[in-house]
Amino acid sequence: MAPSAVVTTSSQERALDAAVELVARWGVTKTTLGDVARAAAMSRATLYRCFPGGKDELFDLLAQREVARLLGAVADAVDAAGDLPTALAAGLHAAARAFDGHAALRFVLDHEPDLATAVLGFAEMDRLLRVVRRALAPHLVRFLDAPDAGWAAEWLARVFLSALVSPTPAFHLADPEVCHRLVRRYLAPAFAARSTAPVDRGTVPSHAASPPVPIH
Amino acid sequence: MSERSERTRQHGLSGGGACGAAGDDPLDVRTRILVAAVDQAGSSGLARLRVDDVARRAGVARATVYRHFPGGREQVTAEAVTFEVARFLIALVALIDDIADLAGRLEQGISRGRVLMAEHAVIQRVVDTEPERLLPHLSQSAPLVQAAVRDHLRPHLEAADLVPGTDPEEAADWLGRNVLSFLMASGGWDLDDPDAVRRLVRDNLLAGILAAPVAPAAGCDRRPSQ
Repeated sequence: MAPSAVVTTSSQERALDAAVELVARWGVTKTTLGDVARAAAMSRATLYRCFPGGKDELFDLLAQREVARLLGAVADAVDAAGDLPTALAAGLHAAARAFDGHAALRFVLDHEPDLATAVLGFAEMDRLLRVVRRALAPHLVRFLDAPDAGWAAEWLARVFLSALVSPTPAFHLADPEVCHRLVRRYLAPAFAARSTAPVDRGTVPSHAASPPVPIH
Repeated sequence: MSERSERTRQHGLSGGGACGAAGDDPLDVRTRILVAAVDQAGSSGLARLRVDDVARRAGVARATVYRHFPGGREQVTAEAVTFEVARFLIALVALIDDIADLAGRLEQGISRGRVLMAEHAVIQRVVDTEPERLLPHLSQSAPLVQAAVRDHLRPHLEAADLVPGTDPEEAADWLGRNVLSFLMASGGWDLDDPDAVRRLVRDNLLAGILAAPVAPAAGCDRRPSQ
């Protein structure tokens, strides 16, 4: 199931809302299902009915939901942009801002990095890149053909993750100027070389003559 | 320990060869312990890496390990990961050192780096079975690795014909981060295909950096094959 369409019941949502607050303060390791039940004002029995897989299931779903929300913020920023460079820079900045403002994600990255493996590590990173491509490519097809829209989404994710792992002033993505400079200098020229205008489906440039590949 | 071994320790890697003349182990003790820790991680995994086993493998006393690594197991593990990452990069640089042009160097860095990682038994074991133990250490050394790759690339950027206004240092940083990202995950790119790597490097990573575009990648499709 695509995380952008995480399906949850309202009880699950209530529990996840409580859990994300607890993680922001105490982290994942120290948060128990009992804590979540208390904070969400539900009985433990109800909580277990919502998450038959227990704590693992709850936190898996929570991670999916929070990633989906972050990607939603990125998609909104991309949708509001009038051209590709603006879309890419705004998307990058939206991701950084959403992450910085997310106390639970920050706590995990700062204090429980072993749990961040689900996002940053090797095979898991490939999985995350797939998730990002699937979620964001549809918002970039206004500017690019399908394969490039997927690639642009993936590239943004790579830049974002690199900034997360090796934060330096030149990659301080919370600064919109930094995002604009990186996109203008390094990302936009790659796509500008392909076509000079947003792709009009009626006049597909010759290099893009192959049929669009579905993004999966 | 003797004054000589103390001196060797201070010299680190570079002092390694000299003490062989005295009939001692050719490697500096500290390095020997790190090598042993990496080997031990390959057989027992990071979770069961114990100072006793590392000491035995290195042929030193347990106390010697603690003298060099007062933090014990944790410190040995953390430094062994950094040490091995550095060794990996040195091996990779040796493989691509004869490539003069920047694009070719980046292409081979990605292609051969991936092969080197796949062939590295210890990396593979740890990546496959306990990535959650490796990642925290890797993320500790990531900024150092990224700076090392940047510094390696920088002179090649200074020698290249760049788009006006390009800062070689910043461009080297950009390229280094991208190369490392592709060593970690291939994403939508088939990096076993040399043509795909050419497209990635020449038509994408270098698109905003080189003034005189390098020979475009073979074929007319500049996008990743998905």
